Amino acid sequence: MELVLAIFIGLLYACGVYLLLRRSIVKLILGVFVLSNATNLVIFLAGGITRSGISILQDEVVVDKSNITDPLPQALILTAIVIGLGIAAYTLALKYKYYKVTGTDDLDRLKNTDQR
Amino acid sequence: MILFGFIFFPLLYIIVGFFPFPLKWKKVLALLTVGGNLVNAVNLIYKISHVGMIKVSPGSWPAPFGITLVADRMSAFLLLITAIVAVSIVLFSLQSVDRPRLERGYFQFLFGIIIGVNGSFIAGDLFNLYVWFEVMLMASFILMSHGGEQPQLEGAIKYLILNLISSFFFVAGIGLLYGKMGTLNLADLSNKISQLGDAKVILNPSLVLIVVGFAIKGALFPFFFWLPASYHTPVPVVSALFAGLLTKVGIYSLIRFYTLILYHNSAFWNPWILGVGTVSMVIGVFTASSQFDFRKKLSFHIISQVGYVVIGLGFFTLSGLAGALFFLGHNMFAKTNTYLVAGWVHKRKGTLDLKNLGDVFKESPVWSVLFIISAFSLAGLPPLSGFIGKYSLIKSGIEAHHLFISLVALFVGIFTLFSMLKIWIEVFWKPVKEGVKSFTIAGDERLMVTASGILALMSVLMGIFGVPIIDYCTEAAADLLSPEKYIRFVLNV
Repeated sequence: MELVLAIFIGLLYACGVYLLLRRSIVKLILGVFVLSNATNLVIFLAGGITRSGISILQDEVVVDKSNITDPLPQALILTAIVIGLGIAAYTLALKYKYYKVTGTDDLDRLKNTDQR
Repeated sequence: MILFGFIFFPLLYIIVGFFPFPLKWKKVLALLTVGGNLVNAVNLIYKISHVGMIKVSPGSWPAPFGITLVADRMSAFLLLITAIVAVSIVLFSLQSVDRPRLERGYFQFLFGIIIGVNGSFIAGDLFNLYVWFEVMLMASFILMSHGGEQPQLEGAIKYLILNLISSFFFVAGIGLLYGKMGTLNLADLSNKISQLGDAKVILNPSLVLIVVGFAIKGALFPFFFWLPASYHTPVPVVSALFAGLLTKVGIYSLIRFYTLILYHNSAFWNPWILGVGTVSMVIGVFTASSQFDFRKKLSFHIISQVGYVVIGLGFFTLSGLAGALFFLGHNMFAKTNTYLVAGWVHKRKGTLDLKNLGDVFKESPVWSVLFIISAFSLAGLPPLSGFIGKYSLIKSGIEAHHLFISLVALFVGIFTLFSMLKIWIEVFWKPVKEGVKSFTIAGDERLMVTASGILALMSVLMGIFGVPIIDYCTEAAADLLSPEKYIRFVLNV
């Protein structure tokens, strides 16, 4: 299962980077979303994936510790997803405003503020 | 409790700002908030100089399990400087930012940045640090595009995408590190890594990801490209705030991370840190000298000056770290002030193109003096703060037998002076070119002078009272060099 998930994350990263390198701003933004989800999955995978019971332990019950998933990475991902949601909303609003001002979706037009 | 104040004051303003009070009240309230923050910071540095370190565990979870907020001497120093910079930024904003922006929550986003910066300086946990970074970034994204002019939106897209990528690097690194070590508390991590022995090589991939994240945030070579493409687009006072605080947070995190975690494998990391610092210094200053825009020139200097701090970290001696810390503080004052002067020029003249400016000295000697104090301080002329910072950095470099890097630092200093003189001559001294229409937009600017004056005064004071401040920085550096103290304090063992 780890291997499948690892390969899948690799694919997601590849897709994200490919989208980042496209000329269209919308695709660039989609690439950012894909990368953000791939990163969340990295945390999930790094925490270890064992199919098991809940990790809320009572004092008197003796549990096999190797059989519990660490809940912390999932809490971290939850935070990361919420942050990602806020950023996604902002990015799309920014793109919308940019399109209204300039009427273009072409990254190559974004040259005016660069150093020459 | 005192550490909560750094988050509580700005947060309170953000909440109150949503209520439909008249703009005048909001302005007064913003001033009170930064004032409260400043009082809190002074109080903290007073306490810290007696106790050494302070920690708070929100929710009373003990250290490695819950989030811990820790302040040591370095944090207190930077928090105080942030508070002073924030006061002058708010003062300057009151008169330089236009009314529609002020009415649409300008101060709320400004305080969002201040919460993020304050929080990053006291975070004792990697994931918590990431969350503060995001708080700071979200607010800065919005401030960058606030107002919605075309160059602003363009700059905001570049700034946004590259900073998001740096966050992904950082989070992926955090995830992998957690997978291997099972903890994210910095003190606990440092403790556990020191018990690993030779096996710590397996941590390198995750550490590289985290350091790349810091390097993008801190605008180090070769990750600085977002900075000069975006910092000259927003309202001038916003660029001043960004230049003064944001990149410095990345560098602070790098220092904290290096002295707690990376130093375990310093044979691998030290050459990289030194190399990146040196190249950043040189590239920044060379590219700056070819620019013809006031703010673009200053943006490239940020990269160069961040390099100075990083070589101080790379020397990894007591005096090197003390110099780096002093330089970081000095740079926050001086850099912000040069940007504030740029903001004033922009307000007065409506342009920042060096070719179309001139004769400003005749118009306002006061602002010229304010500029030259900070500019010469950046270039490192005595008796200003930059001289002490550069002197102690270069001296410690020679003592640590990094002769070549010290020579490069000296050489870069000359080029900084060259750039600053170029701005001085082009903007303040030369007569306006014939055919260029010169005009002046008048307006009340007493608060703006005060704001800039505070920062210039700080540059002078840091130069004159260099010895006690360097002594304080040396104590802070001693804490950084003996992480056992930090670990014992945080983990209570």
